[in-house]
Amino acid sequence: MVGSERLPDAQSNQPASGSVTAGSLDEALKLRKENPGLIPYAGGTDLMIEGRADAAYLFLGKVPEMKRIAQDDEFIRFGAACTFSQLICSAHTPGILRDACLQIAAPAIRNMGSIGGNIGNGSPKADSALIFMATNSMLRLVSADSERILPIRKFYLGRKKLDLAPDELIVEVLMPIHGIDNYYYKKVGGRRALAISRVAFAGIMDVRDGIICNCAAAFGSIGDVIVCLDEIDRMLVGKSVEEASALKEAYIDAYNMAIVPVAGRVSADYRKQVCMNLLRDFLESNHI
Amino acid sequence: MPAGINFNLNGNEMLYTGSPEARLLDVLRDEYRMTGTKCGCREGECGACSVIIDGKLANSCLVAMGSIDGSGVTTIEGYSKTARFAALDKAYESVSAVQCGFCIPGMILASECILAATPHPTEDEIRTGISGNLCRCTGYNAIVKAIGIAAEEGDGLW
Repeated sequence: MVGSERLPDAQSNQPASGSVTAGSLDEALKLRKENPGLIPYAGGTDLMIEGRADAAYLFLGKVPEMKRIAQDDEFIRFGAACTFSQLICSAHTPGILRDACLQIAAPAIRNMGSIGGNIGNGSPKADSALIFMATNSMLRLVSADSERILPIRKFYLGRKKLDLAPDELIVEVLMPIHGIDNYYYKKVGGRRALAISRVAFAGIMDVRDGIICNCAAAFGSIGDVIVCLDEIDRMLVGKSVEEASALKEAYIDAYNMAIVPVAGRVSADYRKQVCMNLLRDFLESNHI
Repeated sequence: MPAGINFNLNGNEMLYTGSPEARLLDVLRDEYRMTGTKCGCREGECGACSVIIDGKLANSCLVAMGSIDGSGVTTIEGYSKTARFAALDKAYESVSAVQCGFCIPGMILASECILAATPHPTEDEIRTGISGNLCRCTGYNAIVKAIGIAAEEGDGLW
């Protein structure tokens, strides 16, 4: 093909489809309300693997309101159509999120894949969703008629089951700015690039003046949903590092009882052992 | 999608009137007969179908046509007319970095994206940049070396 040559316009023999492109958030919400069967498409890197012939997409990748990254006093606000590469390059992106994004797939996938898609696809292996769970981030869910802010920890109702109305879109992810600098993140995969997590773990330990203000552990790839157990993490909150050390084995035991991984490409026993090893390492890296 | 999808392909303004759900990979190969873009896995695992969309490397197997309305796409057919390609071509040849050649169109476009972002990359940066492009022949070392040579020999092009 010669570069300057005018190429023929392609004609498809497929029937006219129902896919539509949104140019603005208002338009996206209107289209979503009128066509609840449309599948929201931001980067397409999960959807196109399946590539269903009967799929009708709502293309959101160029909606400006969903591509922004901004910051206020409390939150970093990531537009849901922001790609992993965009996050990696943004000065607003906290270390824990950047670390996770750098380990997602490979550059070409990171250039296309979006955080909204990673969250909305509902996979327990979603590497960025794990970070939003660990940091207790919020989702801004918007429809043509309403808007709500929902903690992501309440968003997953079961395997691939989301608290998302048919006319709603995930428009923004609100990530807390404060208290997330001291983090621990490990992704265990079969290889360095293009790896699907076998187990992924993210932990936050916010210690101020020797007192634990926040402790959060999140486990990915072990069951139907990403696991965060606030009631166990609260065992260490309000304690000094010394007091937490005395509670260490009780804390690990509580997780040992609570975590029941499923078998997949690796066995449930392997997943359980890795979870416990990472949890212990998380504590020990914080001198607990 | 009543009006079709407008996009730029290797410098040519295109109007695509087919299915917006179709994969860019299939449209390039089957409709435009641009077969330099290879089909390996169709699930984003191998990088053989890599193209450059709006300056960024992308797996064309995971791109629906409807998502590139208004975008610019460069395939190996377009890129092979450039001076940068000539520098990479020479560098790859100098260290025999091509064996069966199936991964090479994608690998060359990944090389371009590495050098466009970082004209003098470290070995680690090169390896990260090609980490989504699988090659079953070379063991990668010759390719990594070739990209380093292109950065030196093609100094000023990027």
